Order: sequence, then C-alpha cells, then structure tokens
Amino acid sequence: MNDPRLKIFSIVFGVIYVVAFYFDLALFRYYPAAREFHWLRTDGIGVVILWYGWIATSALASAAIAFAVPRTLAERLWPGWAWIVPTAVVVATLIYERRWFV
Amino acid sequence: MIVVLLIVHGLLAVALLGAITHQALSVLGAPSAKGRWTFVDRFRSVNGAAYATPIVVLFAVTALGGALLYPQYRIDVRPALEDMQNSAANGVFEIKEHLVAIGLGLLPVYWFFWRQPLAADTAAPRRYLTWLLAFFVWWGFVVGHVLNNIRGLQP
Repeated sequence: MNDPRLKIFSIVFGVIYVVAFYFDLALFRYYPAAREFHWLRTDGIGVVILWYGWIATSALASAAIAFAVPRTLAERLWPGWAWIVPTAVVVATLIYERRWFV
Repeated sequence: MIVVLLIVHGLLAVALLGAITHQALSVLGAPSAKGRWTFVDRFRSVNGAAYATPIVVLFAVTALGGALLYPQYRIDVRPALEDMQNSAANGVFEIKEHLVAIGLGLLPVYWFFWRQPLAADTAAPRRYLTWLLAFFVWWGFVVGHVLNNIRGLQP
C-alpha cells in the first residue's frame, strides 16, 4: 500500500463521481422496492437508487486511470493536488446542490 | 433487523466522529507549552498517526452500513419528506451521500499520507485531507441524526 498511484486514484475519484452523478453515468441501478439490480433504466418497478452505481463507476474508472499512470509520474505529482482537487469537487457539489434550498 | 442495523450504524458513527475529531485537532499544531493544559489541549495532544487506520476502517464500515440502510430510506423516508414538501431535508441528505462517496475515494490517499514514518513535506496535505474527512463525518453524523428524528423535530 505504498504505491504513489493511490494519489491518482483519490484525486480522480471525486472528479469522476461528480461527472457520474451530473450526467447520470451509474454503472448499474438498484430498485429497492423490487430488490433488483439492472444495468439500464427500467420503468415500472419503483424508485431507483443510483448512488451505488455512481460509486462503482468512479471506483472502476479511477482504478483504471491510476493503474495506467506511470509510477514515476505519480511519485513526482505535487502532493497538494491530493486535497485541492477534492476540495474543489466538494465546493462544486455544494454549489450544485443549492437547488434543494431555493 | 433494520433497527439493529441503524443502531450499529449510529454507534460506529460515534466512534468515527470521536477518532476523526481527535486527529483533526491533533494536526492543528503542538499545544501551548506555557500555562496549564486545558481540556482542548489534552484532547488534541494525541498521536494522530495512530488514528489513521482505525478511521479508514470505521469510515468504510460505517459507509457500508449506511449503504445497507439506504434502500429503506429511499422507500420510506424520502417519499415522506417529499409529502411534507421538505426539500431542504432531502437536500442535506443528498449532500451527505455525495460527501460519503467522495470520502470513500479519499481514503487511499489519506491513508498513504498518514503511513509511518510521517514525511515532513506531506504535513499540509495530511492536515487538509484530515479536515476534509472530518467535515464529511460531522456533516453525515448531524444530518443522519436530524433526519432520523425529523418527525419529532418538526413543529
């Protein structure tokens, strides 16, 4: 667990998560009333939970990107990006979610 | 069963809240040497690195508990909030789920920067990542409790 590409994973994860929920890119969907998972939107079986699918999308895409980045490049990456990018993601999320309070 | 899971989820959240708050205050800097130590000084004079792995485990397990509870919330609670036209309550929960997801993604780099021996040049990201996670945990804790008790809290 000393791989510097963990930095890449975490930096990219939040960005992909925001993109996934904004553009509805859930890897899968869960319909709790029917207790069923579906790859695609399925009407007529109740409300849907996309959150699991957004996390799965982000985890898989971030892992793929982190794995593709050369280890030396990840080592040279300025450590500050590890908190600046997620903070920007959180601020963007809070701004977007203002819609619930207006 | 769902009540047992909700209580366990809440208890894990209490442990996580305590651990992350200790660690978040520990990275503020060394307590003042002059005068006698206050409660806050003692609270933050912990070995922050010792909390990192328990925090990673507690965050992941608590998030998993929340994920298991989520279907019940989606079926029973959220429609009730919508019937009450309480969009703010739904909004704070939406933010909670986003923060928990982003927090799960941050755990690898958080753990990476807290591994021993602590590198001096990563003190700043270690501090800010800890504060970010602390914000996520506090938000999730307060929102979870308010929504759990919302029928009693509303006039």
